[in-house]
Amino acid sequence: MQQVVQGEARATHEHHWEVSWAPMAVAFGVMFLIPLAFSAYFVYQRPLLAIICAGIGTPLVLAGVAKWIHEGATQHSAISNVSPVGIGVFIIGEILIFLGLFASYWTMRISSGAAGELWPPAGTPHINLVLPLFMTGLLVASSFTYHYGEHKLNDGRKGWFLVWLLVSIILGAGFLACTAYEYVHLFAEGFVPGTNQYSAAFYSLTGFHGAHVLVGLLAFAAILFGMIVGNVNKMFVKVAGIYWHFVDVIWLFVASQVYYW
Amino acid sequence: MTTATEFAPAPRRSGIKEWIFTTDHKRIGILYLVGAMAAFVVAGIMGLGIRIEQMSPGESGLINYFVGDFAQTMTTGAAYNAALYFHGAAMILAFLIPALTGFAANYLVPLMIGAPDVAFPRINALSLWLFYAAILVALLTFVIPDKPDIMWTGYPPYSITTSANTAFYVFTVHLIGFASILGAVNFLITIIYMRAPGMGWNKMNMFVWTTFGAFVIQIVFVPVLAAAVTLLLLDKYVGTGFFDPTRGGDVLLYQNLFWFYSHPAVYVIFLPAIGLLFDIIATQAKNYIFNYKAAVYGGILGIVVITGEVWVHHLYIAGMPNWISIGMMVTTLLISVPVGLILISLWGTLYKGAITYNVSMWYAVVCLFLILAGGLTGIPLAITSLTVHLSETSFVHAHFHFIMGLMATFAVFAAVYHWFPKMTGRSADIPIAKIAFWFTVIGSQVTFLPLFLIGIKGMPRRYWDYAMFPEFEPYHLIATFGSALVAVGVTLMIVGWIYAAFRGPKVSTNPWNSKSLEWTHTESPPGPGNFQRPVRVDESWTPYNYN
Repeated sequence: MQQVVQGEARATHEHHWEVSWAPMAVAFGVMFLIPLAFSAYFVYQRPLLAIICAGIGTPLVLAGVAKWIHEGATQHSAISNVSPVGIGVFIIGEILIFLGLFASYWTMRISSGAAGELWPPAGTPHINLVLPLFMTGLLVASSFTYHYGEHKLNDGRKGWFLVWLLVSIILGAGFLACTAYEYVHLFAEGFVPGTNQYSAAFYSLTGFHGAHVLVGLLAFAAILFGMIVGNVNKMFVKVAGIYWHFVDVIWLFVASQVYYW
Repeated sequence: MTTATEFAPAPRRSGIKEWIFTTDHKRIGILYLVGAMAAFVVAGIMGLGIRIEQMSPGESGLINYFVGDFAQTMTTGAAYNAALYFHGAAMILAFLIPALTGFAANYLVPLMIGAPDVAFPRINALSLWLFYAAILVALLTFVIPDKPDIMWTGYPPYSITTSANTAFYVFTVHLIGFASILGAVNFLITIIYMRAPGMGWNKMNMFVWTTFGAFVIQIVFVPVLAAAVTLLLLDKYVGTGFFDPTRGGDVLLYQNLFWFYSHPAVYVIFLPAIGLLFDIIATQAKNYIFNYKAAVYGGILGIVVITGEVWVHHLYIAGMPNWISIGMMVTTLLISVPVGLILISLWGTLYKGAITYNVSMWYAVVCLFLILAGGLTGIPLAITSLTVHLSETSFVHAHFHFIMGLMATFAVFAAVYHWFPKMTGRSADIPIAKIAFWFTVIGSQVTFLPLFLIGIKGMPRRYWDYAMFPEFEPYHLIATFGSALVAVGVTLMIVGWIYAAFRGPKVSTNPWNSKSLEWTHTESPPGPGNFQRPVRVDESWTPYNYN
């Protein structure tokens, strides 16, 4: 039967109400940074207002994230060992977003005429197919270097982890630099998101993936920052790694669908 | 339990800071309720405006005041569309989903499974404030000149060609959607890993099970909606052509993506509402859950499995091959099987129970009839032939209002009354609550029953002007009268809640003599960490162990 514990003294009970302003700062920072700044610029054509919104949002998000990382490094939670499963559930959601984008792309391809005769549609310049191979190499390599670094960390060799983390960051940043190079060239040739259906799919898929690479790199930067301060949250290292591998694997689908089909 | 020591506890200070910066699931739950009820009130006023505009055919111009256009610069149609947009988007995205998967899940799930908090308390707080950010973006509707006018569905091509602000719609969906995905991560992990020792899967409260089902649906389907509205944003503001037929896009693609989420969203609302009813009915009838395993594994998990295969019934009249429409008719009708299992369990739980009637039980019993009426009127809409006649009429509108607008909403009200003593230590079951109940319940029937009738006779939905159907005017008049009764009822109810929270009669820790952990193992309201010591349940324990 139930052990009824009502009315017992609260003396053995902990605690105070846990507080943190970090989540609120991040949420409202995101609100200023994305919805409001985007609307000011694209809907109302007021660049100054957009800059003000972004100027309010960015420090809020950065302060919130910094506070969050700080709290994560110093406070312990009895159940934080489930974080890898949590990121796994989150990744299921991410996969479904990519599936939604792929479904749109596939619909366009299938309805674009018999056997894709009309593909790529008029207005598509020559797309460099060697660069994505190189980018794939960078990203896959970074997955391995990070994984190797994690092993070193688990063996207690923080110095080597730092080295491999830096290598992974450089590889990931190289990937983004290639994307930027590619975008600049395509824009110069008049291939912008509104050009045709292929450009729409191309920029939405590679852009959305690129945003994920950026988030992964920011997570790595947070780990790097923690190392400099002297705090390594192994759980966060592991979670960031799982996320990074996901970003890596999903790139194989993005690249094969966008460039080589 | 993080920092339990045997020394004297820190004083439990609790000022404003401990509320707004809280990471405690109970306070986050209550803040969800406050935000959701605020959205409910504003969206309800929009609904009232819609009914007032429809009181007579032709233009009244009153709807402009409701959407904040006091200078009467908008046409009646534009103002009506803005009201329709806010009513739909806010009721679903800012009231029902946050009230059920935000308020109820947050407040009850950790308490019911004997956990000190959710798995990731700060992520939980992030969900809450993303929800508030979304409400703020939605409320901007009333101050911007180009108010969104695209319903809650945002169908292209209109949403792309309209001069109104589609971006705010998209971002409201994004913010709420992201909050839902984070909520799903949190609650799935919490339910899987943080149940009290001894609490097997077959001993969980029904509400915990339905929340589990609802969040599985959220994690799979919300991202697809996020992708769809993102492409809408790109189409309108960046110049792509995903949904623009003149540029090789496909309008139906959007509708498919949208309903691929938005029909399951009905079950995201339906499941937790049912879970609340199960727990309220079992407690007030002092009975075990009839056919627990059939309701859980057949009913709840059955819905989770089938929910992704029914969305096309929203597009029947868009034109499609028969094999698709007939296939989807079968799956749509098939979902009545798990729903039926759940209903049998709900009614069976009443059988031979020692039923106590109070306001929360009244609402719960009304819900049983509403599910029946709302569910049975869904069958003609699922059948490909009948739906040709009924589609886009106010029959559809009355049908889904029975399930979402009345059943799910009343389940939220019932839950607030039932767990009010837990949240405040006081009872909200005061005379004003009973008066409010009758106004709300009678008013809601007076509002929606006429809409079924004129829907069958051909009254189109979403129209602000029905001058071509003058014979429907009396029905609209009755419906508007009903909505006024609802407005009175809801106002009294909220006044009653606020009064009861501060002045209501104090009640014991377990006023309903429930066997569920949130009543038996902690005080009202529970302190930080929920339980004085880690909870453990033994072999014979179940939350419904009344016999």
